[in-house]
Amino acid sequence: MLQKQITPAQIYGGSDIKEKEFNTWFGTLLLDDEGRIDDCILFDNDPEMLAAVVVKLQKEMLPVPLRRPDIREAAIECGFVKLDEEYDILLRDVCIRAVKNQISRADADDSRIIQAVEALDDIDRNVNELGERLFEWYGRYFPELDMTGEELARFVSTYGSRTNVPSDHHLFEKASRSMGPELSFTDEEIIRAFANNICSLYDTRRYIENYINNSMGSVAPNLCNVAGASLGARLMSMAGSLEKLASFPSSTVQVIGANRALFKHLRTKAPSPKHGIIFNHPFIKNAPWWQRGKIARTLASRISLASRTDFYSGEPDTSIILCLEKKLEIIRKANPVPPKREPQKKSPVRGKSRKGKQGSRGKMKGGKN
Amino acid sequence: MLVRELYSGAYELDSGDRKMLATRNMMPGMSVYGERLIIEEDIEYRLWDPGRSKLGSMLLKKFDIPIEQDSTVLYLGAASGTTVSHVSDMLMDGLVYALEFSPRTMRDLVQLCEIRPNIIPIFADANKPHSYAHIVEKADVIFQDIAQPNQAEIAAINSKYFLGEEGYLMLSIKSRSIDTIANPRKVFREELAKLQNDFSIEFEVLDRKELAPFHEDHLGVLAKRFMG
Repeated sequence: MLQKQITPAQIYGGSDIKEKEFNTWFGTLLLDDEGRIDDCILFDNDPEMLAAVVVKLQKEMLPVPLRRPDIREAAIECGFVKLDEEYDILLRDVCIRAVKNQISRADADDSRIIQAVEALDDIDRNVNELGERLFEWYGRYFPELDMTGEELARFVSTYGSRTNVPSDHHLFEKASRSMGPELSFTDEEIIRAFANNICSLYDTRRYIENYINNSMGSVAPNLCNVAGASLGARLMSMAGSLEKLASFPSSTVQVIGANRALFKHLRTKAPSPKHGIIFNHPFIKNAPWWQRGKIARTLASRISLASRTDFYSGEPDTSIILCLEKKLEIIRKANPVPPKREPQKKSPVRGKSRKGKQGSRGKMKGGKN
Repeated sequence: MLVRELYSGAYELDSGDRKMLATRNMMPGMSVYGERLIIEEDIEYRLWDPGRSKLGSMLLKKFDIPIEQDSTVLYLGAASGTTVSHVSDMLMDGLVYALEFSPRTMRDLVQLCEIRPNIIPIFADANKPHSYAHIVEKADVIFQDIAQPNQAEIAAINSKYFLGEEGYLMLSIKSRSIDTIANPRKVFREELAKLQNDFSIEFEVLDRKELAPFHEDHLGVLAKRFMG
């Protein structure tokens, strides 16, 4: 009955798997009509190999016979293990190995980009705060200096005290006549170190930005083409992954990032948001207000197409962007002048559009978790 | 401090002014997610925050928890293993299969599994029980905490595959993941009706209570296979 020394490839190589076969992590059970074990082919008691079997079976998702024995009992009956404890220990070992295997494989390209985009946002948030601090701090000693942000950080990092500004510098005049007090050596060192850190954050930011621009082209070429590298990356980050973005309806893509407005619209009679984060696309940003909603709809549908092409085929497809441009032209021609603004009133149309939206509700949820 | 056993393996510590839920720590000295450890009469307990755990709040809501010391539990939606670690404490002699489908939380869970001997991790989608039927045995209890719109369906198909004849299903229904704007009561009613009638497995609902104030808009359900 036992047939040891057999590899999974030998057993699963063939494609004719019958209904009455029950593939388990420790071997294949051949069942009779009643679901009892007729025969069994067992694997070697090698955790590494069994883990590979577990991963493989999980991927294949073979049908499971309806009438089947309990697999723990089967393992003992077939003599794979002798005791319950032995079964527990081996299965645990195998499953932990399998899961570790699956996790290391699950690290997809899009998740690297998503981490980078989120790091970018973190840097922006922090660098603003630090920049404001530097502005207040250094402003005590040189209030006339009309600089903020990176410019200020670079200035402080280069010169430190305003007395170090060279005579050929265009700010020399201002610096030597400043009403600010002298900067002591210790204070100067500290402020300078602080400014250096800000400068290096700006450098890192640029570095990450380049990284995103470069890798978006290979991870999601069409999305990059239609939405631009940073917007595309941001959409992936807000959706959770390229796969999720590809599975969203384009009406959801249109309002990603406008969660609050969307839920306000769904719960109350507030107007529906026209665009979420895709507003940052130059096509919408640079369009006159009366075309924005229409362009947002078109753009969202093309972004959906692009992300689906990227996720499922990965081949660049220039027809998407060409088609988008054609459509934009049509929209621009059809709406050359702003419509007359109707007087503000609570129209029943809003109630209707609310109902029509119900299909997409709840889709925004779980995007970031 | 007064110690009272609420259920098999779950304790209530009474410090006079405050009552706290806890389990007996299987791995003394180790805190899993930053919870407090309390030693009382040479036994170490891990405090269990019902606000972070659906099962914990179900215990306090006086559900008749069917988890015994030697039960086999299938836990769907194990996340980082906060609750699973307490289930593991309760099962002195049992086993819990912890299923999770997010690589991020699985990373934490697998590290927990390496420390505790009675948790078996499974990285799979609970919608597809046939993708892990080659690992999971018949379970005495299926506990489900999955925030998906088709929660009832997931519970039903998993019960069909893995719930023993005398087994129990414990379910936490989150109304917000089914319908964000509808009235939770209505959602709960519909989900329970679905669970009882829509699938080829029948359940007898033994108990149902909302999990407020620990979890808003959640319903705890305890059901058993219906034996006609």
